[in-house]
Amino acid sequence: MQANGTKLALGIYTALFLVFLYGPMVVLAILSFQTGPEGGPQFPIIEWSIYWYKHLFGMTPPTRIAPLPIEEALVRSLILAVMTMIVSTVLGVTSAQAFRKKFTGSGFAFYLIVLGMMVPGVLVGLGMALIANALGIDRHWWGTTFVLHVVYTYPFAFLVMLAILNRFDQSVEEASWSLGVSPVKTFRKVTFPLIFPGVLSAMLFAFTLSYDEFSRTLFASGRDLTLPLAIYGTFSVEVHPNVFAFGVLTTLFSFALLGTYAALMMLSIRRARRVAIQEEA
Amino acid sequence: MAMTAATAEAASADRSAKKMPDRTFWLLAPGVIWMVLFLVVPILMMVYVSFWTQTTFAITPTLTTKSWMTFFSSDTYLSALWTTIRIWLIVLAATLIVGYPAALFVGLFVRNKTLQTVLLVLCVIPFWTSFLIRVLAWRPMLGKEGAINLILQGVGLINRPIEVLLFSELSVIIGMTQIYCVFMVGPIAFMMGRIDQSVIEAAQDLGAGFWRIFRTIILPLSMPGVVVGAIFVSVMVLGEFATSAALSGRKVNLLGNIIVTQVGSLKWAFAAVAGVILTILMGIVVAALLRVVDLRKEL
Repeated sequence: MQANGTKLALGIYTALFLVFLYGPMVVLAILSFQTGPEGGPQFPIIEWSIYWYKHLFGMTPPTRIAPLPIEEALVRSLILAVMTMIVSTVLGVTSAQAFRKKFTGSGFAFYLIVLGMMVPGVLVGLGMALIANALGIDRHWWGTTFVLHVVYTYPFAFLVMLAILNRFDQSVEEASWSLGVSPVKTFRKVTFPLIFPGVLSAMLFAFTLSYDEFSRTLFASGRDLTLPLAIYGTFSVEVHPNVFAFGVLTTLFSFALLGTYAALMMLSIRRARRVAIQEEA
Repeated sequence: MAMTAATAEAASADRSAKKMPDRTFWLLAPGVIWMVLFLVVPILMMVYVSFWTQTTFAITPTLTTKSWMTFFSSDTYLSALWTTIRIWLIVLAATLIVGYPAALFVGLFVRNKTLQTVLLVLCVIPFWTSFLIRVLAWRPMLGKEGAINLILQGVGLINRPIEVLLFSELSVIIGMTQIYCVFMVGPIAFMMGRIDQSVIEAAQDLGAGFWRIFRTIILPLSMPGVVVGAIFVSVMVLGEFATSAALSGRKVNLLGNIIVTQVGSLKWAFAAVAGVILTILMGIVVAALLRVVDLRKEL
């Protein structure tokens, strides 16, 4: 477009927009290097130190500031995220596969599934807590919380797979069937490798959403805290820079995860390309 | 009601099974059953419990509308409902105003595919930080000795710190806008990217200025993105309670906060009433937005 002035103005605006997005996180990261234990969660930085990082790992002499209960919470959150990832990806792939054929009630089924990501977490969490109360079931992160996490992440996996399968060339499958390969083997050998990048994305979605899920978790989990619940616990008390240091570390962890995803994605694409070249030769 | 939903589902599944002797039914059944059991049933349970009898120490399944009457005759609850609607509308407008120009730039003006992807990824990266940490990150920004006040004082724009920045409705709105605006930017930028460049060129050749092109071509074609973004933002803001808990210092009570407090004091029936009202509110909003755009077609 020739409107160069407009383009420049919008470019500057977008830069400011990115500052708005990142500003709080940058400030938080800077303040995580505040001196401890008397340094507060605000400017100025009295002295730069990694005290609060040490504090997280219990490497500092005890003070009145309680350490964050992250160790067990982290393990729980990771296990929960893996469980959620597996189940919601499987459900997402199978139901998206079902949607490739037109069937009666497909609109109903579509909205029923998508509803899972639409309904505010606090509502599903409340409903689940009420049911657990009425039936006398104990609430646990691996039970009541887990099923709600799947309710939330499965629609994302489903939509990702649906988008992938929409662009899927059916003729390769048909070729395989007509050569007498069983449907199960066709899925394993032909369909699955082709949709694998989508499956990977669905898994990433499910894992990160569950790992960070909070509003569904609050009512549905019992005494044992997951990571987000441990952070929420600090809201009601005074905030110390140890929470900031923790925020920096979890962010780095997420980036590592993202890096793994990118690497796997690259590998799977390269493999697909190699297979294609072999077939041509 | 649970029965009707279940039988309707069974009936539709039956019909489809008869039409096609393939595995559609078996592929779909696990997901549908999961959603009915763990999504539909809990919500119906919430509706049911909202009519239970609440006493100070216990709740009994004797049906009554007392909790509903209490809700609608209480200033606290009604003002929470109002605050929820007000904050939702303000945040929705704010995310649109803040996000649209950025989406316009990324989706339409950046023609280099690599740069476009980089910018979009930059927008998404903050989402790999825990939601609660992102909320909390606004505290050292907005506080009396926070970064914004320090910078403004340093530049000399103000000589006394702005106190209304933190622990106010404004802080909640600022926080929510930053956290949710990307859900607006994404869908809009996606729609912009789909606009055929030749249509714009044709308009230019015919002598249309930027504003005219924007009004008659870009804005209408980006509307589905705006609606999808509005659905995301609305759903998330309506169910919010953490941001207001962390940034308002208990001054701003949303319906979500009411639910959390009531559950905390084991007033399940009141929590359920607030929950049902929130569900109805959300249902109206999403249904209205879905009338404008068909979500399935936008995939």
